[in-house]
Amino acid sequence: MSVSGPSGAIVASPSLSAAKAGRFVSLLKSLIWIAAFLAVVELLVLVLGIRPYYLPRPSAIAAAFWATPQAYLLSMWRTLLETVIGFVAGSLFGVATGVLFHRWTMLRELFFPLFVVSQTIPVIAFGAVVVLWFGNTLLAKAVISFYISFLPVTVNALLGFAAVDPRQVALMRSFGAKEGQILRRLYLPAALPQIFVALKLASSLSLIGAIVGEWFGDTTGLGVLLLQAMYNENVVGIWVTIVASACLGIGLYAVVSEAERRIVFWGAEQ
Amino acid sequence: MTDMSIAWSEDYACGLNPGARGLAGLLGPAKAVQITSEPAWGSSGDNPLIELRNVSKSFGPVVALDSLEATIHPGELVTVVGPSGCGKSTLFNILAGLEEPDPGNILRFRGKSSAASELLGQVSFMPQRDLLLPWRNVIDNAILALEIEGMPRTQARAEALKMLPEFGLAGFENQYPNQLSGGMRQRVALMRTFLFRRDLMLLDEPFGALDALTRTMMQRWLLDVWQKHRRTVLFITHDVDEAIFLGDRVLVMTARPGKVKLEQKIDLPRPRKADIVTSPEFITLKKTLLDAIEEESMKSFMTSGH
Ligand SMILES: Nc1ncnc2c1ncn2[C@@H]1O[C@H](COP(=O)(O)OP(=O)(O)OP(=O)(O)O)[C@@H](O)[C@H]1O
Ligand SMILES: [Mg+2]
Repeated sequence: MSVSGPSGAIVASPSLSAAKAGRFVSLLKSLIWIAAFLAVVELLVLVLGIRPYYLPRPSAIAAAFWATPQAYLLSMWRTLLETVIGFVAGSLFGVATGVLFHRWTMLRELFFPLFVVSQTIPVIAFGAVVVLWFGNTLLAKAVISFYISFLPVTVNALLGFAAVDPRQVALMRSFGAKEGQILRRLYLPAALPQIFVALKLASSLSLIGAIVGEWFGDTTGLGVLLLQAMYNENVVGIWVTIVASACLGIGLYAVVSEAERRIVFWGAEQ
Repeated sequence: MTDMSIAWSEDYACGLNPGARGLAGLLGPAKAVQITSEPAWGSSGDNPLIELRNVSKSFGPVVALDSLEATIHPGELVTVVGPSGCGKSTLFNILAGLEEPDPGNILRFRGKSSAASELLGQVSFMPQRDLLLPWRNVIDNAILALEIEGMPRTQARAEALKMLPEFGLAGFENQYPNQLSGGMRQRVALMRTFLFRRDLMLLDEPFGALDALTRTMMQRWLLDVWQKHRRTVLFITHDVDEAIFLGDRVLVMTARPGKVKLEQKIDLPRPRKADIVTSPEFITLKKTLLDAIEEESMKSFMTSGH
């Protein structure tokens, strides 16, 4: 969708495939960078004689993963599920409350301070209560993940709505548009760039929520693996879990970014 | 942009009537409910479409309009000129139902006393800025009003697609606003206004952003379609030539607070040819109007430094 010359219709298609190739190249580049980085770490650990207790060699971490891939993959899957449920629920709730608060200032004045206060309760304290309520279920983790991810979405949705050009609203009203129509056709799309900024943040937050949630007791999940490895002083295990969490986090972020690139193709120009 | 508009103007020159007829269909009286036996145009005896008496509007300490009086008859094309900041857009906002005038006013629409808000959805309004939605392509921006009225998208798109060539936008239906020149964006906005078929059209400097060639073409085109189906048009412009060339009447507004300073009937015969601007009658009218505008512009310059 890059801006093309005056006869845009004709230029558009080659520039599109060029953009695709460009993205492939940049993906390749970042892969090469990661490989180079790992190689350097490996070398440094060997050359400086760093003990595995402080930093195991990347190859050792990989080997530990390959020894029991099943356990790690299952845990990643479980944590991913909790994260995604929490993230989706948090995002929807965030946008919905943004709409409500924008539409009814009364609601905003009543509840928005509560929202902010809710975030000052340490997630650990809140998590304990949630586990009491929901038991040691997947749902409990998703709730914690939801709890720490919705507020940025609410805030940014509100920011995005507030930035809508009032003249644009006036134009829609002059066409006889009802509030719902203005919301769907103007406010929501106009706030999307802002909302996506929050969604990227919420994606990492919801992963943290899921992992912390698992610390309250469970049998699978990255949080569980992390705790077990810590108690057993299994340093390599800790590192495998860290890398696995990072992969999940990066993956989620990448998915949200890609969605943003496709959906908010016009950029935040207005 | 340039080659596009030339291609379009050639198209205009040779295929004017068939093209305009397609549009003329669109300009017909919009809703069966709204038809108030549209009388022959220009006759002064018939019921006015819009009557404004003692309409004032202030924004805090700023008095934008002060007891403005105006009457618009069905089928008229009335142009409005006046110094910048004199309240022209404010007047349009009131007529579009977006702003309520200060209390004490009389606003009659089709003879019925109305609050401004009752005009929402009744008037086809083109604001000064194009206000296109950046996430909608040309076609989808053009059909915005139709969609809001509840027309299915495919039908609305098909209707808009037919109109593209007449607005010099053929082949650009899938472009997004950030890919268009200012003039093209304005034409998309104009098309959006035309597709929203209402008896009264408010055009706030619709051709202000167009280059000279496209602008004269658009003026003649507007006259052509308007002449076929007398939709009532209120047209703000900064260009006195444009005001005279298009209008049945020209309203000159005073510096802020705005009211009607001069109401000049334009008796030039229709259809008007492009060369009419050099006729002695035209020059005389222009002189009268320029004098009036100059006086007001000086005033607004002194008081507010516009
Ligand atoms: N919503 C508003 N709030 C406060 N002041 C306003 C508002 N709208 C218009 N005004 C003021 O009212 C006056 C008239 O504005 P308006 O936009 O109607 O002028 P205009 O004749 O259309 O000018 P231009 O030719 O430059 O478009 C201006 O002084 C403007 O500052
Ligand atoms: Mg204006």
